[in-house]
Amino acid sequence: MSLAKFIEDFEEAVEDIEPGSLTAATKYRELKAWDSLAVLTATDVIEMEYGVLLNKKSFESVTTIEELYRFVLQKQ
Amino acid sequence: MVCIMAKSSFKQIQIGGVVTCVPPLEKCIDDEVELFGGNEKQIARLKKTIGLDRRRVVESGTTAADLCEAAARRLLNATSLEPEAIDAVIFVTQTPDYSQPCNAAVLHGRLDLPKSCAALDVNLGCSGYVYGLWLAHMMVSAGGCERVLLLAGDTISRIVNPKDRSVAPLFGDGGSATLIQRSKCESVAWFSLETDGKGFDALIVPAGGQRSPSSAETQVEVTDAGGNVRSAENLCMNGAEIFNFSITEEPKAVRDLVEYAGLDLDAVDYFVFHQSNRYILSNIAKRLKIDLAKVPIQTVERYGNQSSASIPSAMCGELQDVLCGAETQRVLLSGFGVGLSWASVILDMAKLPICEIIESAPSE
Repeated sequence: MSLAKFIEDFEEAVEDIEPGSLTAATKYRELKAWDSLAVLTATDVIEMEYGVLLNKKSFESVTTIEELYRFVLQKQ
Repeated sequence: MVCIMAKSSFKQIQIGGVVTCVPPLEKCIDDEVELFGGNEKQIARLKKTIGLDRRRVVESGTTAADLCEAAARRLLNATSLEPEAIDAVIFVTQTPDYSQPCNAAVLHGRLDLPKSCAALDVNLGCSGYVYGLWLAHMMVSAGGCERVLLLAGDTISRIVNPKDRSVAPLFGDGGSATLIQRSKCESVAWFSLETDGKGFDALIVPAGGQRSPSSAETQVEVTDAGGNVRSAENLCMNGAEIFNFSITEEPKAVRDLVEYAGLDLDAVDYFVFHQSNRYILSNIAKRLKIDLAKVPIQTVERYGNQSSASIPSAMCGELQDVLCGAETQRVLLSGFGVGLSWASVILDMAKLPICEIIESAPSE
């Protein structure tokens, strides 16, 4: 697994995000598309792809997509 | 390690008919633009992703007991049973008529059931139908009961705040009646029942019971960070926690039960899950790698999440023809929710004399 793949998965999980529009430094919780529904769909994809079940607190514990990626790696 | 949970199996007991009653009043998320602050795009996303659509709700004078009474009368009529034939009545609900006495006793009177009939309530929601079936099987198995009437129904629409987008568009109302009886058939029913009480507050009505009695304070409406309005006497759901619970525990519980029964997933003809929403159901199916054609999923889009009535509602609304047909169907029923609590059963059904949805009369 790679950071690039993780960003791709994240873009696919959250509706209304154009592929290629996010970077490792994107502060995902500041995205307009980041709402309670996005939490569900992102949780789902990350669990399916990486086997890590995140909760609301884990999403709030980090800021950028890269940090989220490292967080998921750590939990694996 | 062997997975240990409350599992049991029963022989020579079968379901002898089921009826589900829904109220005639239909609401649709499309008509609730105001609730979403004019955000039609959000409604479109909820429809597309979660599958929210229509729901049936009671008018203010109607209770779960009323819906279940109508279902029970239709069931007794269609099975040509006199009230004297019923040895026990179980009422599963989160929304009883009174804090006491229990709904089962109230309906025992209204249905003219005999004094020799046992009556009790079960305070469970989305897992409650399967818990009720389990109790009924135990009652028949232990002797003394030939026929048990299982009533399962809720009017959750009456305890959600209409200004709470996180629950109001999800829940519908319904009441069911199921007959469980001794039979000569050799088929087996396998049950599993589980609980995680650490999650008791993920889906909760915080006030109105003895821990926090109803008061002027508990009725004050508060707006949360997401702009949703509710009082402490309204239903409050942590959607993300409930979602995580559903997608982790449910597939595991289904696999464990199938293994306990010595079967494999292919041996099950239909998987009737608690109708929470399309997103959760399709997710569970995806994780179990089961064919969606075997998973009733339209009930929640038609009637809403009907809590304890959702599984019988899906049986009546989507499997009527197959369950009334001559061929035996092996069905897995599984409920999950408030408690947190979840329960599953694999049983055979065939030639049901009745398996239908009815509408309650509109209130006057």
